[in-house]
Amino acid sequence: MTAEPPTPREPWDEGRGWVLDDAEGPTPAPVGTAGWSPTPGSSARGARPVGANIVRTGIALVLAFAVLAVGAGWWQVIEAQRLSTRPDNPSVIAAARRTLRGQIVDRSGTWLARSVRDKNGEAQRQYRDPSVSDVVGYASAQFGTAGLERAYNAQLLGLTTGDPLAGLTGKLFPNANQVLGLQLSLDLRLQRAAVAGLGTDRGAVVMLDPTTGEVLALASTPTFNASAIANPATAAATMKALQANKDLPLLPRATLGQYVPGSVLKIVTAIAGLDSGAITPSTTYPQQPAAEKTGLLVDGFRITDGHHPQTDGRALDLYGATEVSCNIWYALTGIQIGGARFVSEASKLGFGQPLPFDLPTAPSRLTNGQGSAPGGFADDAELASAAFGQGEAVVTPLQMALVAGVVADDGWLMKPHLVTALTGTSSGARTIAPDTWRRVLSSEDAGAIKQAMEQAVEGDLGRLFTTGAAVPGIPTAGKSGTAQLGGTGEPNSWFIGFAPVDHPKVAIAVVVEQGGRGGERAAPLAGNLLAQYFTLYGRP
Amino acid sequence: MSALAQARPTSRQLPRIRPRPRPVEFGLLAIVAMALLVGGASLGATEHWLKAQAGGEKLGAFGFAPPDPRGLGVYLGALLVVHIVFVLAGRRTDQVLLPAVAMLGGIGLLLMQRLPQDLVTQSLGSFELRLGQLQLLWLLISLAVTATLALLVRSDHWLRAYKYTWAAAGVALLAMTFVFGTDTNGERLTLSIGPISGQPSELLKVILVVFLAAYLSENRSLLAEESTRIGPLRLPPIPYLAPMVAMWAIALGVVVVQGDLGAALLFFAVFLALLFVATGRLSFVIGGMVLFLAGSFVLYQLFGHVQQRVDNWLDPFRDPLGSGFQTVQALYAFARGGLLGVGLGAGLPTIAGHLPVPAVHTDYPLAALGEELGLVGLLAIFGLYLVIVERGLRIAATAHDEFRALLAAGLSLVIGIQAFIIAAGNLKLIPLTGITLPFISYGGSSLLANALAVGLLLALSDRGAVPPPPPRRRRWRGLPGRRRTR
Repeated sequence: MTAEPPTPREPWDEGRGWVLDDAEGPTPAPVGTAGWSPTPGSSARGARPVGANIVRTGIALVLAFAVLAVGAGWWQVIEAQRLSTRPDNPSVIAAARRTLRGQIVDRSGTWLARSVRDKNGEAQRQYRDPSVSDVVGYASAQFGTAGLERAYNAQLLGLTTGDPLAGLTGKLFPNANQVLGLQLSLDLRLQRAAVAGLGTDRGAVVMLDPTTGEVLALASTPTFNASAIANPATAAATMKALQANKDLPLLPRATLGQYVPGSVLKIVTAIAGLDSGAITPSTTYPQQPAAEKTGLLVDGFRITDGHHPQTDGRALDLYGATEVSCNIWYALTGIQIGGARFVSEASKLGFGQPLPFDLPTAPSRLTNGQGSAPGGFADDAELASAAFGQGEAVVTPLQMALVAGVVADDGWLMKPHLVTALTGTSSGARTIAPDTWRRVLSSEDAGAIKQAMEQAVEGDLGRLFTTGAAVPGIPTAGKSGTAQLGGTGEPNSWFIGFAPVDHPKVAIAVVVEQGGRGGERAAPLAGNLLAQYFTLYGRP
Repeated sequence: MSALAQARPTSRQLPRIRPRPRPVEFGLLAIVAMALLVGGASLGATEHWLKAQAGGEKLGAFGFAPPDPRGLGVYLGALLVVHIVFVLAGRRTDQVLLPAVAMLGGIGLLLMQRLPQDLVTQSLGSFELRLGQLQLLWLLISLAVTATLALLVRSDHWLRAYKYTWAAAGVALLAMTFVFGTDTNGERLTLSIGPISGQPSELLKVILVVFLAAYLSENRSLLAEESTRIGPLRLPPIPYLAPMVAMWAIALGVVVVQGDLGAALLFFAVFLALLFVATGRLSFVIGGMVLFLAGSFVLYQLFGHVQQRVDNWLDPFRDPLGSGFQTVQALYAFARGGLLGVGLGAGLPTIAGHLPVPAVHTDYPLAALGEELGLVGLLAIFGLYLVIVERGLRIAATAHDEFRALLAAGLSLVIGIQAFIIAAGNLKLIPLTGITLPFISYGGSSLLANALAVGLLLALSDRGAVPPPPPRRRRWRGLPGRRRTR
């Protein structure tokens, strides 16, 4: 290369020169080199060279940028799916306006929700039947989404991809249609029958297949007209009226309704007692017959019973106590189990937290947990009351259907599910197989409770309490409940059960708000629906 | 420019200027040009496609004009001119800095051309310049500044000799902003003098680096000493600490006076970084951070806008339509981008005529780039900043003396730290602070200040440069009773 131009000297160099007493020369070595020594212009005698510090600072900045890279990866890869499918994401809103959402069909393929274009080309949702309104929900430009439309919003709009690689190619072919439909396990005929059966009452019905967890009916009344919410012309007025309605039609009672259970909770107590070993099916309490008349004093609180004079004087076991729904026997069993064990056994059934389900669910609980006694009970009186379904216990109809299902399915608890397949042509389409949640109790214990529940429906004394739940010709098991709400109103009417007793095909939970005694309102409705099931699906 | 006059060699000493090829720079610039041309073409195609689709399906109007192919052409031409000037001048300056900066500037230009053009408009006589054109104008001016500094600065005397003058000018700038400044978004950031308006804190950061480099290089050894002991603390002589404490006070003062969290954080971080480079004492950095956090906590208690920033950072989804709106929308934009991005121009520019991220061109360009270029694009951008910092630190490590070393380190760190602070704010790693993304964000002040820094870095990198001046006679010889051992 060419020779370097001569180093120009600066004006301040004139007459002074470079060489000072301690300077090395006119071209000092770079400060960053290891053998650096003090140079002119430096007062840093004795300090370490800055070169090493520069390297360290550089490394620190590289590390800081590595954190940035991780941060970007967090939002763009790991959290991307969750953020991109949030309902308030503008791209979701934009997609909702123009995308024809996937169809929702029942188990036989009958459409429940479908989309059409209005004359402006905007997508609009139509719903077949108000009876599924609390399950399917609605999708509205003004009011967002609810129900399955909300839970599966991203899939129905085609915003999710089955695998990340499909997302990559999707960038290259932006028109790739990934809208997915939903196939439900719901049977529209049973759903309609359940809604019709509830009639003008407020209440809920859950029917499910105890061996698979597939939900056949998930009714909640009153229903509403979801199509009117989806239609922009009528949405505002419809919504206003629904929100003003004191009967809360928008509340999906089957999943989010928390009800005082009454005697149906005794099945939970029986499961907890047998599984924990606190009782056996033949356990009797000597003080029980006397307490029928005088009441049972627990912690100064008198638990009364007394509506089964037919058993007077006889100490009852599990079967007898279940058949006549003996509060005293179950109160004593609750105390025998103990608060902590009771709560932990119930949590095996799903109590204490929202259930894993396609729709949001409210937790069921035995106590509000504000007490200081074991399990969160205030005292033994609350524990004893909870054991027969009063006190602070609240349950959802879906949870109680699962309780019946556990007894029906020999102690196995299946995860409840409603969506059996994501349908469509994209990579996200798949079927959703039944999933076992856990084994809750042994087959023998389940058999004992099954027998007790059968007696409660079919037994000589049980029949007196559980009018009409039995399906003619098919052995039916169940338990009614009459949940006292306090005050002077009518109690909530409950029934849970399953049929047939051997190899059960369907489990049911029915609650009718302020429907009176369990045997009077809920049990006949359950019997009617079970009979309809066997009409539709064949008698065993 | 008295400094330039000083630096100009006399005719007797005038070196012959020989052109010197710069093959690395040329090659890298060619890659940059290719990348930007591909980007421009992709952007144009996407916009055309979107327009066609919007016409057919009425997807809502994207109210912006197609990108101006002439803009990119002018920018690339200017880069070529700068390169040729560098070649002709024959100075042996760094060959990587210009392409790295040019790439970031080009990305910024494409982004500004792609955003709604009426976001920023300025009338110059009968002309009305819009966002993309304004950004191009500022980029050209910045290139000119960079080239001028890189070629003409042949001495650092004018920087090191007048450090207190520079510091005073900086403080004066700050004071003027406080008195005459105008508020934007509750922050007093903009200073307008006649038709010219700018954000002084951008210029202030360069001045700060110059002052700190000069001060620290002079007092390095004294600061590294441990002559004052307070309990377990070992501190340098108190008088030498005073300017440091003053710096801390100024940084927090910037917050109090201007409400400018970003600048305060940047100043203080650069100060600590340079203090560490000069002294090698980690305890200063840790102590400084503790002081800053303590100060920030007090400010958090006292000032509503600080509280709001921190609360938005902790949980933007608490108020997704109100105060957390911008943060949430930016996160949505990042998520939409995913690994590869949706493509230049294909991001969501407007929702019903409004930008989802209102400050996308100044505070949140990274959100738009993350959406359109994806994680891969963001990593490339981070890499470019690291390249710039690496070149700057390399220049620092091979500098002839400590002032130059600290100056080069400071100039590159100020760019790197600024990029980090705003990127981390965008990515919700730290509370958002309103500073610009160097070389990419819209804004003349920001582009010019960073052009100053790059120009000085290039000048400092000249391997054929003048050796540093002789030591100046110290007027003040330390503390009474202390004798310098010579």
